[in-house]
Amino acid sequence: MSFLFSRLFILLACMGSGMALAVSFGQAGHTVAGVAAGALAWLVWDGWRAARFAAWLYRLQDDPTAAPPRFFGTRKEVAERIQRLLRQQARAMAESENRLRDLQSALQASPNGVVILNERECIEWCNRMACEHFGLDARRDLAQRVTNLLRDPALVACLAARDFDEAIALTSPASTSAHPLRLAVRIFPYGEGRLFLLSQDITVLEQAEAMRRDFVANVSHEIRTPLTVLAGFVETLQTLPLGENERRDYLARMARQTARMKNLVGDLLALSRLEGSPQPGLEEHVSVRALLERCEADARALSAHLHGESAHSFVFTGMDEADEIAGVAGELQSAFFNLVNNAIRYTPPGGRIRVGWKAGETGDGRFFVQDSGPGIAPEHIPRLTERFYRIDPDRSRESGGTGLGLSIVKHILQRHDAALQIDSLPGQGACFTAIFPEFRISREKRVSGQT
Amino acid sequence: MSEKHLSSQFDSDLNAVSSQLMEMGGLIETQIQHAIQALAQFSIPLADDVIHVEDRVDALEVDIDRALTTVIARRQPTARDLRLLLAVSKITTNLERVGDEAQKIARRVKSIIANGESHKMPIGDLRVASDLAIDLIHRALDAFARLDIPAAVDILKEDNLIDREFKGFTRKLITYMMEDPRTISDSLDLLFVAKAIERIGDHAKNIAEFIIYIVKGTDVRHSSLTHIETITQ
Repeated sequence: MSFLFSRLFILLACMGSGMALAVSFGQAGHTVAGVAAGALAWLVWDGWRAARFAAWLYRLQDDPTAAPPRFFGTRKEVAERIQRLLRQQARAMAESENRLRDLQSALQASPNGVVILNERECIEWCNRMACEHFGLDARRDLAQRVTNLLRDPALVACLAARDFDEAIALTSPASTSAHPLRLAVRIFPYGEGRLFLLSQDITVLEQAEAMRRDFVANVSHEIRTPLTVLAGFVETLQTLPLGENERRDYLARMARQTARMKNLVGDLLALSRLEGSPQPGLEEHVSVRALLERCEADARALSAHLHGESAHSFVFTGMDEADEIAGVAGELQSAFFNLVNNAIRYTPPGGRIRVGWKAGETGDGRFFVQDSGPGIAPEHIPRLTERFYRIDPDRSRESGGTGLGLSIVKHILQRHDAALQIDSLPGQGACFTAIFPEFRISREKRVSGQT
Repeated sequence: MSEKHLSSQFDSDLNAVSSQLMEMGGLIETQIQHAIQALAQFSIPLADDVIHVEDRVDALEVDIDRALTTVIARRQPTARDLRLLLAVSKITTNLERVGDEAQKIARRVKSIIANGESHKMPIGDLRVASDLAIDLIHRALDAFARLDIPAAVDILKEDNLIDREFKGFTRKLITYMMEDPRTISDSLDLLFVAKAIERIGDHAKNIAEFIIYIVKGTDVRHSSLTHIETITQ
């Protein structure tokens, strides 16, 4: 109502002032003309204002923040309301845009590959991980049919049959034999015929599964072999009449097989103990000299026991060092002697074996065992520390190894933050070096001795 | 895949043919992978798998050819559409041959396994060449889906890598055969495997040439690399 009254009031005011002008100029006869002129002036002025208002509305289409010209009365109110509405709309829009961006960055951050497909199975959006998994290009491959680029027959069949109940395992197109990449892909339908494709890297999972399978198979095989031999001898003893000498011989062989099984089980237990126990701290220190002295005594005894007269010649160096290693004495002793033991078993009788301790260039400490044995071919070196990995299965079993020695060494060294380095060439012997980092070694005594 | 036509049915016909071709491509890719895996792992079931897939590949080839004939008869395509359809026909033939090569590899693998002396042969040396071949076919099919000219030119440049590997491998096999005549039959089998891998690379190269033909309209078969590069610039 106020809207109507205000306009009426202005109109009347214009008409009144026209009349007043006519009267003041002393031409009372033209009163009507004055009123009409006033009304006309109002019409022109109002029309001009309306035109400006419309122009402002037009401008708003391009620039929602355009400031209105100065209005008053009704138009001012209308303009303010329009502006408020526009502001609200802009805020709502910004909010939903932000939410969309949040959602997209959440999907981007996902460790899984995400591909969104429209109802024609064309790629609508994909995250960075999906690009890596499937070799997609996030910009160029939009609107591309997904089966044109992910051509795995299992996936194509699953999309064709629209059977999305189970995950599909497939080899990624980005996979190479050096860096295999296996994926589990699941598809979830949503909305009207749209699809949500999720891919997960299962390479490590499958490798772990394969390793577990191999491990169980290996353990069973390693245990079955001596058991078969034992069973054979038991049967012989049960069924055949044997002389005293033969019987003693058979029993001795049986004892060897049981000893082998005992070793194997012992090594397996040692491994599982190493895996289960916490990392040794830095408080306890072991003297390197004590470790080397025990190694020397054990090594000479073993070599003499195996080869008698033609025992290996040993050179032990670094015995006078006063270095200490922070760690567990029993474990380190076992790791060091395992390395020496390997050298003794793989070096022909009379060969030379050098064992010692020296300081590395970067402050680290190195325990090394160098032999003059047959050496190791380069393709075997990276796999030597795998459980039950054997270069020549018959030979190493014959020499009494369980196939777990180097795995145990590697485990112990890892627990002491140390690394195992293997340098060897066929025919030129091998050198195994355990490298301990500086913080695991204390040299206090030597430093104080020098000053 | 191609620009819009007035008739959307025509569009969907073209898309359907391309999709079928890509499906066939996917089958072929896994066939090669399995053949190579069968060789690396001496797996007879995998080799048998490769040989069995051949039927599905053949059926797809016939299907695609029939679809192509129908589209050409009904729509009488011109220019780029015609080139696309012709190229699809040629690429189908090439893919089918790749499938044949995979099958050949599988058969040779079975024969090597049957000989029983397989662990003495330098099979690991085929790794580089076979990885290259798988990669080339994969990239050729990707380049077709995207009609990606730079990728196609890259494939043409890389084919000679496989050829070089093949020559090196042949020399190695000769030394094996000279050292120990008992390895001759296995060596011959491996030679055929290496040749099949080399042929797969050639087929990838042909596919790349057809991609350039679709987009640029120039037939670049039997022309030099520098010529192709000036065309595609």
